[in-house]
Amino acid sequence: MLGAEEFIEDTIEDLKQKISGKAIIACSGGVDSMVAAVLAHRAVGDRLLAIYVDNGLMRKGETEEVRGMFEATGMNYEIVDASEEFFSALAGVSEPERKRKVIGEKFIRVFERKAKEFGAEFLVQGTIAPDWIESGDDVRDTIKSHHNVGGLPKEMGMTLVEPLRDLYKDEVRDIARMLGVGASERQPFPGPALAVRCLGEVTPENVAIVREACYIVEDEIRKAAAAGEMELPWQYFAVLLPSKSVGVQGDRRAYGRTIAIRAVSSIDGMTATYSRIPLQVLDRMSVRITNEMKDSVNRVVYDITNKPPATIEWERLPSGFTTKNAIEIP
Amino acid sequence: MKVYVVDNGSQWTHREWRVLRYLKVETKIVPNTTPFDEISDADGLVLSGGAPGGACDASAMGNNGVYLDRADIPILGVCAGMQFLCQHFGGELGPGTVPEFGPVELKVSGHGDLFKGLPDSFQVWASHNDEVKRIPEGFEVTASSSTCPHEAVRCIDRPIFGVQFHPEVENTEHGVEIFQNFLEIVESRRS
Repeated sequence: MLGAEEFIEDTIEDLKQKISGKAIIACSGGVDSMVAAVLAHRAVGDRLLAIYVDNGLMRKGETEEVRGMFEATGMNYEIVDASEEFFSALAGVSEPERKRKVIGEKFIRVFERKAKEFGAEFLVQGTIAPDWIESGDDVRDTIKSHHNVGGLPKEMGMTLVEPLRDLYKDEVRDIARMLGVGASERQPFPGPALAVRCLGEVTPENVAIVREACYIVEDEIRKAAAAGEMELPWQYFAVLLPSKSVGVQGDRRAYGRTIAIRAVSSIDGMTATYSRIPLQVLDRMSVRITNEMKDSVNRVVYDITNKPPATIEWERLPSGFTTKNAIEIP
Repeated sequence: MKVYVVDNGSQWTHREWRVLRYLKVETKIVPNTTPFDEISDADGLVLSGGAPGGACDASAMGNNGVYLDRADIPILGVCAGMQFLCQHFGGELGPGTVPEFGPVELKVSGHGDLFKGLPDSFQVWASHNDEVKRIPEGFEVTASSSTCPHEAVRCIDRPIFGVQFHPEVENTEHGVEIFQNFLEIVESRRS
């Protein structure tokens, strides 16, 4: 990144000025929020509390991995188990924009509670440029509401501080490497977590299916990359589709769910090409998913669209969805 | 050197700002409703793309027309920015015969300015429903593709340029060089 050292110095100085009292940081353990946390920690030290919310929608083993990262930084942190709260708010919600807003609102309620306990008046977030660009504004269409922007309720009761607003992921990674942040190479993961990879209703059962499928996809692609079979994509994951299709398992007809695999190359997430995954790697993922998950999944497909016209994560355009210029594809 | 990005609502307005910043130019994003007098210190302007239908909807394009009429400096219109400037000077717009989303093979016919030193053909990324159907008088086409005859245009007697594709995104080959060439034109007009 151009002028990374200067950016770090200026940002720490700026955070010292802006954060006059105590602050909390919403921290998912991804590179953006970890970098924002480390910068804020350098600026205000123990006046910062990092909060990781286990919303029941995180990937396999993620909470423990994030705990390890917090320990390495030496900052104050708290891991809040709020999975029941999230699932009950999400019951019956299948429209994706609403999902994102429900999740954004839940996050804020948890943070508000924790901020009150800690006495914080400032909320630091690792929002980066594509988050607010794609969330839309007076002149820009909403492509998707990023939970940390579009999902924010108007009455928040805390002053929002977003030190990374003008950066893109590649720049945040450069800064993460310079700061020695453990999350520097983690793949991007959406704020609403596995909820956006469950098309349709977000139930604990659906989340469990997509969590396992994501784990298999990540595991096989990492192994293939380590063995030199392919380059590690920018992002790679599984999506659970809301429909069922017919299959055959041991001479018996079986209706099962479909998993879509998505893997893309990108620099900044604003444009992307689908990854040319070698067929034998696709094959291993397909066989593993349909065997290890035979009770729920009987079909695996690979998404071969670029961005544009698709986005990286799947978003089903809900019926009645209108932003001023959204194009409804019948 | 000051080159401002006029924000017409594109997903990639901020990318244009980033490319300019990386090329060490003094830059900022300005809303397209900014009065001309507040940006008259610029040495060059980039007119960003806009949301679908943006260029066809004159009310969404704010003061772009005023800038084009009053600013005697190099101007680069991108996507809806190009469409708007073509329409403003008498060209015609319409829905693309083949809409382009993603990779497009660009064929360069004019290597004089924006495409100086670049190959005759390379891959760029586009994202548009509408296109320029007829270019204005006094303009010429400098690049095309098999799906869009007007991928890039220039004004013959003023330093005004348009590209239908997006040189600011990472997937476009030679995108940074296109901006560099534009900045060279800006620099030569200053001195």
